[in-house]
Amino acid sequence: MAANFWTSTHYKQLLDPEDVDVVHPPDRERGITVEDFKLIKMQMVTYIWKLAQHVKVRQRVIATAVTYMRRVYTRKSMSEYDPRLVAPACLYLAAKAEESTVQAKALVFYIKKIYADEKYRYDMKDILEMEMKILEALNYYLVVFHPYRSLTHLLQDAGMEDMTQFTWGLVNDTYKMDLILVHPPHLIALACIYIASVYKDRDTTSWFEELRVDMNVVKNIAVEILDFYENHRSITEERVTAAFSKLALKA
Amino acid sequence: MEAFEKLEKVGEGTYGKVYRAREKATGKIVALKKTRLHEDEEGVPPTTLREISILRMLSRDPHIVRLMDVKQGQNKEGKTVLYLVFEYMDTDLKKYIRSFRSSGESIPVNIAKSLMYQLCKGVAFCHGHGVLHRDLKPHNLLMDKKMMTLKIADLGLARAFTVPIKKYTHEILTLWYRAPEVLLGATHYSTAVDMWSVGCIFAELVTKQALFPGDSELQQLLHIFRLLGTPNEKMWPGVSKLMNWHEYPQWKPQSLSTAVPNLDKDGLDLLSQMLHYEPSRRISAKAAMEHPYFDDLNKTCL
Repeated sequence: MAANFWTSTHYKQLLDPEDVDVVHPPDRERGITVEDFKLIKMQMVTYIWKLAQHVKVRQRVIATAVTYMRRVYTRKSMSEYDPRLVAPACLYLAAKAEESTVQAKALVFYIKKIYADEKYRYDMKDILEMEMKILEALNYYLVVFHPYRSLTHLLQDAGMEDMTQFTWGLVNDTYKMDLILVHPPHLIALACIYIASVYKDRDTTSWFEELRVDMNVVKNIAVEILDFYENHRSITEERVTAAFSKLALKA
Repeated sequence: MEAFEKLEKVGEGTYGKVYRAREKATGKIVALKKTRLHEDEEGVPPTTLREISILRMLSRDPHIVRLMDVKQGQNKEGKTVLYLVFEYMDTDLKKYIRSFRSSGESIPVNIAKSLMYQLCKGVAFCHGHGVLHRDLKPHNLLMDKKMMTLKIADLGLARAFTVPIKKYTHEILTLWYRAPEVLLGATHYSTAVDMWSVGCIFAELVTKQALFPGDSELQQLLHIFRLLGTPNEKMWPGVSKLMNWHEYPQWKPQSLSTAVPNLDKDGLDLLSQMLHYEPSRRISAKAAMEHPYFDDLNKTCL
């Protein structure tokens, strides 16, 4: 939303990975593991994506919604804040914050269309109430920065515009992880460019050197992303269902 | 909301009432801006969300009104209400100018200068953080009469900009302070729109009268053209390509001193740079702070 990342509250709110992967006590009592926690969040990213396709919002609205959702779960438990309500409410809030308002009514309509499952059934009143709770959980800090803009500039600078689609897709996938809570967006963009250049066999060494960024950080983020892709293959529908069923258990 | 005792209603905005209130725990006087939520419809109004998130970002500057807290409460019907808790300021620039107009006195030169400097500083801070105010006017500039401090308020229309800046909604500024590129339907506009408003406010501080008091968009343009001359491609490259451009009566530029007679040479120079037609050549808030007009101002306590 804004232009200056370094003076933003987003920058000040970056977290250590250890503070992100914390399963809150009420969830732990239900047997939710860190892996379950990550899986459910990932599933909710998919949910936000699907909904967003129907209500037609820009990429950055989706990215902001996912960021809100991930921030909420650094502070609140899934037992108290049902992900299946938090996800659409975050999209609702992000659309407003990014100036492309979506009607709550439309969201309710598409939720029904996407999921037959009763557990996803929420009405307008629920979404509006959850919007207020999310605002409190976020302490009203709503400005979020994303890697997309840096990505475009950086690709231009590196003369790699032909990689736009590939790297853009990589950036999209980073939202399936918690990277946006941990790293400055431009470093995430650089990590995606790094992966692309290795994958497509482009020599970008001198370009990266001129940027004077800490290449170790960039490479570490790249490794995290590649690890994610590696693990992603082993995720099955059953594992997701199992994680969700734990959430339904009474502690 | 039991934490506050409402003392009196001090204003009413588009989205709700503003109260002077006392924080019970500390006795501190605050301004409570109460925001109705659209009943059962669309939750928190987007303008309120925008104001909150932008204030959360900017609230650290001495020339931006300080948002101390946000509280959720319930009204008598059990509906959710948002309270924005602001520091309390006892007046605003509109009332301040009006008080001089009715007494017939002039605003002392050093005070006008100090207020202008604080305004530029606040605007520079907004712009430095990627935020356009889009609705600067005397009414939105809060003041503390004793300390003679000025703070920018009402960021409801503000938004953070991304570069390149493009396509913001029209119909946003109060006409009198609206920049010509906005009136002419430019789709790409930027920090310069705020600087135009700052220029209009500057002139008003000196003359106690609005510089361009138009009551329709066309009339607003004609007010501007009459003083600054009808713009053409030579004065403002690209002006005739703007969406709302028509043929207008041809006026020649007048000297600014005809409209603002009591301003010194440096002041007139600064004002002319703020009222530059071509937005990209209009002076920035940061550059304005460095202008010789402010050389004799004691800036240490600002």
